[in-house]
Amino acid sequence: MSAVIQADGLRKMYGKRRGLDGLDLEVREGEVYGFLGPNGAGKTTTIRILLDLIRPSGGSATVFGIEPRAGGTTLRRRLGYLPGDFTVLGGQTGRELLVYLANLRGGVAFERIAALAERFELDLSVRVGSLSKGNRQKLGVVQAFMHQPELLVLDEPTIGLDPIIQQRFLELLAETHAAGQTVFMSSHILGEVQQSADRVGIVRDGKLVALKDVDDLRRQAARKIEIHFAGPVPAEAFSGIDGLSDVEVADGVLRCRLAGQADQLVKAAARFTVETLTVEEPDLEDLFFSYYGESEPQHAE
Amino acid sequence: MLSSVFTKSLWDQRRSLVGWIVAVTAVGVLYAAFYPIINTPDMAAAMDAFPPAMRDAMGFTDMTSAAGYLGSTTFGLLGPVLIIVMGAALGGSAIAGDEEGGRLDLTLAHPVSRWLVLVERFAALIVAMLLTALVLWLALLAISGPAQLGELSVTNLAAASLHLAVFGIFFGALALAVGAATGSRALAFGVLAVVAIGAFFGNNLGPTVQGLEWLRDISPFHYYSGSEPLRNGVALIDLTVLAVAALVLVGLGGLRFDRRDIAV
Repeated sequence: MSAVIQADGLRKMYGKRRGLDGLDLEVREGEVYGFLGPNGAGKTTTIRILLDLIRPSGGSATVFGIEPRAGGTTLRRRLGYLPGDFTVLGGQTGRELLVYLANLRGGVAFERIAALAERFELDLSVRVGSLSKGNRQKLGVVQAFMHQPELLVLDEPTIGLDPIIQQRFLELLAETHAAGQTVFMSSHILGEVQQSADRVGIVRDGKLVALKDVDDLRRQAARKIEIHFAGPVPAEAFSGIDGLSDVEVADGVLRCRLAGQADQLVKAAARFTVETLTVEEPDLEDLFFSYYGESEPQHAE
Repeated sequence: MLSSVFTKSLWDQRRSLVGWIVAVTAVGVLYAAFYPIINTPDMAAAMDAFPPAMRDAMGFTDMTSAAGYLGSTTFGLLGPVLIIVMGAALGGSAIAGDEEGGRLDLTLAHPVSRWLVLVERFAALIVAMLLTALVLWLALLAISGPAQLGELSVTNLAAASLHLAVFGIFFGALALAVGAATGSRALAFGVLAVVAIGAFFGNNLGPTVQGLEWLRDISPFHYYSGSEPLRNGVALIDLTVLAVAALVLVGLGGLRFDRRDIAV
């Protein structure tokens, strides 16, 4: 698969202040790439270089193999962009704004705009200035997705969205992914990207410090498991199982944490009558927190 | 109205544009309406009592003819001042205002070049200025009977209005260019204020000081009113000088705008 976004030793200085300090990045065609890092790490700087809003001080960045400056309008036609701080004039209605932005791209069928707006429960006849912050962010999401671009560049897309709308956004992201579009989204919260991203890169102090496959991470991450049995079970039945920790057996209830394959545990439990079984999705956040403190690059692949 | 940067800029400005048109027209018409009161022998004598150099410095030349009166008031003082402030507001907001408000990123992330955005916003400014001058002209025509301005021809009133519009376009271009080059509206206003004040005194005082006569030749005021369009009609060369200067400014601003980083 070819790289949709490629950065090699990308540097950006704002006067004496460091923006990026040799960032390496590769986003493959058709993947959802979560670009994670604390505030001020260089996420927005990277994104604004890709959109040719700012120019790099050193290194190189390409989108679809073309430098953003050289690609100009032809390149930007293939992108959808949601700025980290989505601000537009307050005097216009949502409809005016979206139709205008669509026209800058050569037009988008209004049914498509209306369908997206409906999906996000967004009233397009209301003046932007009287919309809540969350509703304004929805406008930003709609304008980024409406023309079905080959590449979506989203800077903290779910900021200000309530949990239900966040879920709708993730559904839209999944459809986008299924349609083969590439997504590059930044966030400072892992939970936000772990559901939808294929890979996650962590940026810190202007450098990429870790790159992980989300499926691998999930496999490695310890899940909390609780099994209720019909009667009491001996604790020894669950000793010596690979990846099992924090085992606690009492009154016919097993509580434990499992990392990796579930096979041995399932077979051990199958010897008894299982009434209920709960598995909590792993929280990758804990796992990732360690990387914020590390400085050596760690590549999973 | 939503099909291009040009039409959208005009559409977004429609309310403030109506405000500017009302302000410029109201000031022009109010001034003009006073002409029958001012145009008396007593007033003529009072004006004659002023030293000629002082009359020139203040821009009050001949207050007892319609052309002299209107050229000293509506088209001589408050008209140009208002149109300069309008140029500052429209020109400063065209790029720098959008950038300071954090709105420029979204536009420039679309398939439009920076040059296109700059040129279309300048085009919107030109239309705004011409529209303002057109309404002022129509309003002056409407009151020319009661205000005893009948001796002024329709074409000469149009010429003066057109001169005012091109004058405004020059200052709008200056604010637009400085704003596009630097991203700072405050800097655009500052540069414009210095140039406007310098141009005013350069035009009115330059000729009265030996060795500084050249100041008048570089003053936009000279190319705006030196030819007395209310008496002599359109001075094509003078308007061309202002228009070319405006285009050069926008071009220079654009060169820098195209290369620099857009502020967050």
